Amino acid sequence: MIIKRLLLFIPLVLVCLLLQSYFWVPTYENQASGNPSRLVTYIEASSGDAKFLNPILSADSSSANIVSQVFEGLLDLDENLSLRGRLATDWQISEQAYLLVNPYHRFPDGTEVTGTTLFHRIQKAWLTGTDESLKKNVQSLELLSATQRKETVSLLLSNTEGQPQLKDIPVTVKVPVRVAFTLSQVDQDLFERLKPILGEQYFEHFPFDELIQFPKDISQETEQALREKFPTILPIGEHNPTIVFHLRKNVNFHDGHELDAGDVKFTYEAIMDPKNLSPRTPDFEPIKKVEIVDPYTLKIVYKRLYSPAITAWTMGILPEHLLNDAALDREKQKRNLSQEAQEVFGMRDSQLTRRPIGSGRFQFVAWKGDQYIHLKRFDDYWEGPTQYQDYYMRIIPELFTQEVEFRTGSIDFYAALPHQVDRYKNDSTYQWFSSLGFAYNYIGYNNRKPLFAEADIRKALGMAINIEEIIQYLVYGEGESITGPYPKNTEWYDTSIQPLPYDPQGAQAIFQKHGWKMNEDGWLEKNGKIFEFNLITNNGNPIRKNLLTIAQNAWKKIGIKVNTQIFEWAVFLGDFVNTGDFDAVVLGWSMGIDPDLYQIWHSSQAGPQQLNFVGYQSQRADELIVRIRQEYNRAQQRQLTHELHRLIHEDQPYTFLYAPLSTRVLDKKIVLVNKGADGKEDYQKIYPIKSGDVTFHFHKWRKLKSTPVFTH
Amino acid sequence: MWNFIIRNIGQRLILLIIVSFVAHSFIHLAPGEPSEVDPMNPRMKPEDVAKIRAAFHLDDPVYMQYAYWIRDLGTGELKSFKDSQPVLPKIWNRFLNSLPLFLLATVLVWTWAFPTGIYGAVCRGGVYDRSTVFLSYALISVPGFFLSFLAILWVVGWFGVPVIGMKTFGMDHAETAYKAMDRVWHLVIPSVMAAIAGIAVLSRYVRSQMLEVLSQDYVRTARAKGLQEDTVVYRHALGNALLPFVTMFGLLLPELIGGSVIFEQIFAWPGLGRLGYEAILSRDFPVIMTLNLIAAILTLAGTLLSDILYAVVDPRIRLH
Repeated sequence: MIIKRLLLFIPLVLVCLLLQSYFWVPTYENQASGNPSRLVTYIEASSGDAKFLNPILSADSSSANIVSQVFEGLLDLDENLSLRGRLATDWQISEQAYLLVNPYHRFPDGTEVTGTTLFHRIQKAWLTGTDESLKKNVQSLELLSATQRKETVSLLLSNTEGQPQLKDIPVTVKVPVRVAFTLSQVDQDLFERLKPILGEQYFEHFPFDELIQFPKDISQETEQALREKFPTILPIGEHNPTIVFHLRKNVNFHDGHELDAGDVKFTYEAIMDPKNLSPRTPDFEPIKKVEIVDPYTLKIVYKRLYSPAITAWTMGILPEHLLNDAALDREKQKRNLSQEAQEVFGMRDSQLTRRPIGSGRFQFVAWKGDQYIHLKRFDDYWEGPTQYQDYYMRIIPELFTQEVEFRTGSIDFYAALPHQVDRYKNDSTYQWFSSLGFAYNYIGYNNRKPLFAEADIRKALGMAINIEEIIQYLVYGEGESITGPYPKNTEWYDTSIQPLPYDPQGAQAIFQKHGWKMNEDGWLEKNGKIFEFNLITNNGNPIRKNLLTIAQNAWKKIGIKVNTQIFEWAVFLGDFVNTGDFDAVVLGWSMGIDPDLYQIWHSSQAGPQQLNFVGYQSQRADELIVRIRQEYNRAQQRQLTHELHRLIHEDQPYTFLYAPLSTRVLDKKIVLVNKGADGKEDYQKIYPIKSGDVTFHFHKWRKLKSTPVFTH
Repeated sequence: MWNFIIRNIGQRLILLIIVSFVAHSFIHLAPGEPSEVDPMNPRMKPEDVAKIRAAFHLDDPVYMQYAYWIRDLGTGELKSFKDSQPVLPKIWNRFLNSLPLFLLATVLVWTWAFPTGIYGAVCRGGVYDRSTVFLSYALISVPGFFLSFLAILWVVGWFGVPVIGMKTFGMDHAETAYKAMDRVWHLVIPSVMAAIAGIAVLSRYVRSQMLEVLSQDYVRTARAKGLQEDTVVYRHALGNALLPFVTMFGLLLPELIGGSVIFEQIFAWPGLGRLGYEAILSRDFPVIMTLNLIAAILTLAGTLLSDILYAVVDPRIRLH
């Protein structure tokens, strides 16, 4: 019966056809045999796909990873997390400062304040050296005549439905006569130093109303908001920090075009162009102007003191000739878009965000959505070509899948979870790393609630939690205890501060001191109310979920009743965190390299939708935070951050839990190649630098045929 | 017949508009915002978020957003929030990736389910029948993702070969035959995994259909005529038992989108299901909406197709 035979024959043949393909596939042991190019190909895994391969648009870590290979910034961070020149060979930071004549004010001796009197008095103090640092730091003084300028002020107001909305108001500013200072170093206390000459109240009354003119037809609220901005529109004493960058010569983009100061200026302008919706505008907004001195020299003038701004120049530089208006015009003509699409066409729509051209170590080859991004090495790179020829970033969302691919030799490197690293530790086929990053986990208390108002109580809550045990059992030892808001591997962290002890008895004693007594049911009670609150976190993060339970259990032991709840991320943020309507949360921060904590800890940032959602308030902390972001001297900054760290540690607005170590595994055949002066090569084991980054020496990595043995 | 088809298409078009509007409203009712306007990005100021919201029309009323979506979809300028790429080409590329997986899984299901089911029915109550029944229930009960993980662990652990993705990496410079076979190998495990539950379910249907037909009078008559057992089973019974399965072809269509989300996710297969899943996670409204619309079209077209197929193969049924 032919049908019967077919019914049996077809499935069997099909399966045989499929299974024989197994014999054609490379195995882990033989990944390079018959395919030698595998040794010069580097493949790493990423959980998510990139979004924009453009340094000014990318905001996620996958895009940032590729962008950092394709593009290069003026600066980057070296092994010790200090700034290092890349496209810039060197840079100098100085300051221009301006002091307006305040006609409402009189000098301490009663003389009227005019341009000439002001200038002469300051000049006298400078030349005679009554103030030591003034004499040393000021290089020249100048009296500038009055001018007028027009500008547009953007105000964020709520519309009739309570939604925030931007409103642009044109204003005319009459700038009065002013004294200009040129300083060799940034000095945030310059105007403080001048107070003995000017008088203590010089900066207090100022005729803003006469000098700033705005349209009369604006609403009361708008006018109110505008008036609040007057001191920033026309500052009485203005600091303009200035950076001069000297660029490296003969650096080419991947298409052979030379990179010069024009590209840097263009990159800045592209970020600030509202059409591009760049997420990096906050970093560059403090810039007043970017001036091209010559093709290899740039002068950046800032509107105000903001020291973290310099780190922003680690961002990749865009090729102007491919992305300026003329180039975008050409592209949209070529792509035959509709009239409407042409009108809104911008850098976001350009094909160059999918096929980037930069000046970095690797040039772009291909991007297959949700599969991989392929780069190849740029042979004309100014520091010489890398060891690897091809670079792939594969997109593998599942961590399990990443491990499987790693074990079959289809990827060389990935970020393993702590429990996975535990397996690799006992396997000699792979090398693994665990190092401190910039992140930490915490329990944040709503400082506005009476229950958590006392620092002592928050401290007692922290003392009830055994953090060492959490590190050991929850993250398999891949964590370190922390005491404050800075990453432990930066110099801003004060290592002399001792963590809270694990001391449930001590915690109970503190509660008793504050009038909380153990009742019959075993709960702490005061004035007929037991110590009870809700601890919440977001779903999708198993570690946070476990932290929730651990904390609940630890507090139960000392008589605190905690109800826990887990919410979807959007609900968690929208209904609880942003509105400040919560008792305590388990969350984590991923910090940056700069010491600026303004958004997370300054008391002005405690409103709805802002990041100081625990409502931390401390006058001294506010002062320190502002001083830190205005300080340009690293040693000074370090001293201030240590004080701030101690202060926050004493106040315990959070219980700082631990900093997770980032854990990664790498094919053991990959080594670091050091070339001696005589051209002799020497293999070294790969190691993480201070920031926890393993790939810092990536350009010197090479994959060998067999696992090497190190002599040192 | 033609009347039926035209009237049905008309009804389905209206239904489609309703479905797409309701789906649009539901998606916007769900909590959460596109990840581009996530307020937890410490680098974003409210001003910047406001600008992006305006560009995405997020603050317009829902019906206006629907109108914008329809307009952009019609002009082909609909773009993903996530990467600003046109949505339709994006979906088409993913469709081409999903297609071989879907086809192979379907072929495996249909070629394996029939012999298994028929043989089970023929030797009803025997050892073979009882063990296949047991096995199919076991395979139906065990979740597909669990079996997939086991399969991956086993293949990787024993054979040390890659099983994830559409091909092995770093094979670009290998010979064409190796590359082609590599692609076939990468299809094998995910499509087998996606087919297993299908085989189990379908073979149960085939078995019970066959049993029902085998107990009919005309089968007894055929046997009484002295025909060979194989002729009775494969010529007289099988043809009639097949009838209900013809309609299932139509219902396969929507499976193209939703059928293998789990397997695409586990095997890092860049297909349609994964596109949709990721779009939902990042609240990429244009992609979610368009995929949803396509799914609705496929479902409606699939039911229409199965109605028509039924009439074609079964002369007793007339469409009015």
